[in-house]
Amino acid sequence: MAELFAIDDAPIDTGRLLAAVGDPAAGASVLFLGTTRNENAGRRVTRLEYEAFATMAVREMRTLARQARRRWPIRRVAMVHRVGVVPVGEASVGIAVSAGHRAEAFEACHWLIDRLKELVPIWKKEHYRGGTVWIGAQQGGPPAPRRRARRTG
Amino acid sequence: MRVHLRFFASLRELVGPEERRTVAAGTTAGALWDAVVRRTPAAGKVQVRIAVNERYVDASQELSDGDEVAFFPPVSGG
Repeated sequence: MAELFAIDDAPIDTGRLLAAVGDPAAGASVLFLGTTRNENAGRRVTRLEYEAFATMAVREMRTLARQARRRWPIRRVAMVHRVGVVPVGEASVGIAVSAGHRAEAFEACHWLIDRLKELVPIWKKEHYRGGTVWIGAQQGGPPAPRRRARRTG
Repeated sequence: MRVHLRFFASLRELVGPEERRTVAAGTTAGALWDAVVRRTPAAGKVQVRIAVNERYVDASQELSDGDEVAFFPPVSGG
């Protein structure tokens, strides 16, 4: 199975991610999906829009996968990030990791999504009820609308 | 020497997607950014990251002829 590190405007194909980490020596495959949540910092999110520096992003993904393979005895890694509009409920990022045993697959996958969010040149613009904002481009973000009283129980 | 500047996300909206500039030998990535901010002061509010030929660099990195210099705000993928 060919390796898979990609920036793509199509919906994320989880079967393809899992197939890309298929390995007869693997006893575990972990799949992480990040999905568009309907709220952020008190704002009602209607959709996210992603932009990437695609060639550098894929290069950074490969570097992270190499680093993960040095840190944990894992078999294979696949990473895909979607660009363009990602509606609420759909996946913007998918990471699959296979390993001989589950512990290292979980740990490496967790580490990979954390590093991706810090290092891979991708940006999200949040479209919320009442406006848009680039996430990460400003300290603190726009003022959140006042929260409704928290429901009890 | 000639360098190719690229801007992404909020910076792209402020400055435009790309431009080509002629700069003096020895110009650093940070000095090039300062020149961008002089022309578009609003860009100065962005906590910029710089990549030369698709690798992160410090502002002190000296540029070479033909370099592609990318400027972008803090990343927010995921």
